Amino acid sequence: MTQDQETEKFLAVGPDHGASPVAGEDPEMSRILRRETHSSRAAASVIAAVLVIVLCVYALLEAGVRAVGQPPWLVDPTTAAERIIALPEGISSLLLGASGAVIAMVGLFFFLQAVLPGRRARHLLRDPRTAVVVDDEVLASALARRARTAANVTQEQVMVVVSRQMVVVNVRPTSGSRVSQEAVLTAVQAELEEMSPVPMPTVRVNLASSGVIGA
Amino acid sequence: MNGTPRALNRVLLFIIGIKLLAVGLLLVLLATVPAVASWWHGWSAGVWTGAENAFRQTRFPGREESWLWIVAGAVLVAIIVAMIAWLSQQGKGRANLLVSSDDDSDVDGEVRIGGGVAEQALRAALAERTDLAGASVATYEFRGRPGLRIRIQPRQGVAPHLLAAEVSQLVEALDLVIGQKTPVLVHMISGARSRFTKAERVR
Repeated sequence: MTQDQETEKFLAVGPDHGASPVAGEDPEMSRILRRETHSSRAAASVIAAVLVIVLCVYALLEAGVRAVGQPPWLVDPTTAAERIIALPEGISSLLLGASGAVIAMVGLFFFLQAVLPGRRARHLLRDPRTAVVVDDEVLASALARRARTAANVTQEQVMVVVSRQMVVVNVRPTSGSRVSQEAVLTAVQAELEEMSPVPMPTVRVNLASSGVIGA
Repeated sequence: MNGTPRALNRVLLFIIGIKLLAVGLLLVLLATVPAVASWWHGWSAGVWTGAENAFRQTRFPGREESWLWIVAGAVLVAIIVAMIAWLSQQGKGRANLLVSSDDDSDVDGEVRIGGGVAEQALRAALAERTDLAGASVATYEFRGRPGLRIRIQPRQGVAPHLLAAEVSQLVEALDLVIGQKTPVLVHMISGARSRFTKAERVR
């Protein structure tokens, strides 16, 4: 079962081991939570709509100028059509290929925006009353604090990266003092279990081989 | 929890993306493959002759111009209006009223509680906290029901589950005041402010 399906299951039926549900008691909230953890594609939509509007306004201008029998603004529609038919003559093939590649790239961007799931770097927390969505960086900074106290190092020596299914804790120990990997791992895992984010990531601790001097 | 039409966004992005991709690939192929160029000449010339015929048959009586230009203009205007309508749908859904209902008493009338009541009460309660770098509360309408979105920015290292439990208590107190359970979304964000105020490598 993928992580996404796991989230869907939690949203649909709630957790199966008696803990408080993710979305409160309101089934409507599960829809909201699904929307909050996925991108709405609003930015790409705005870009696409503006692009289409600009193209249409220009075409409208030329068509309107033509309809009232005035001279064209940039290019007469008939001339434009004849030039398009004559392609690839009338333009250097390098320029034609390059502009084609650019247009294809823009199209690919919109296409991928439409097709990819667009998950955001967020986790859900269980709460009996409210629906809670937490950015991964907030989780990471809480876990980093816990790892820092467990390893007894300064803030600069710990870096935590949280992704959907994985928490990576990088610790650079102070030169001359020992840091127990197990202690950091258990501390971070205990904190993570208290939070119980959905989906639950696994923890990995990396101890740097070289220490930090004078920290 | 706003009312951005996500399915519509994806469908329209798909259509626009596929079209641009096809045009771009056609141009690249025209520039590189000679066989495509000869096919293109035959096909597009045929289409253009058909279009020219159509223009010739649809002239205004006694004039040179075809009324197909007017039709094309109308279609373009329709597309532009549709695009503007699509744009205006993005991020909509702010609501003003939290409660709007008849009560059970004999007195005629309706009870209305503005979203500002909850927004200001929660904002004031959250503003005193030292473990938050910022908080904002907004009322949204989702599928015809009002809901609150609480967006809080915890400082570095604040445990999110404890914060969530305390915000939850605030919301339950608010439920008692308003007399109705409103759907509430708590979103903890890591804004630029909490990232840059201290030189911490922890993320």
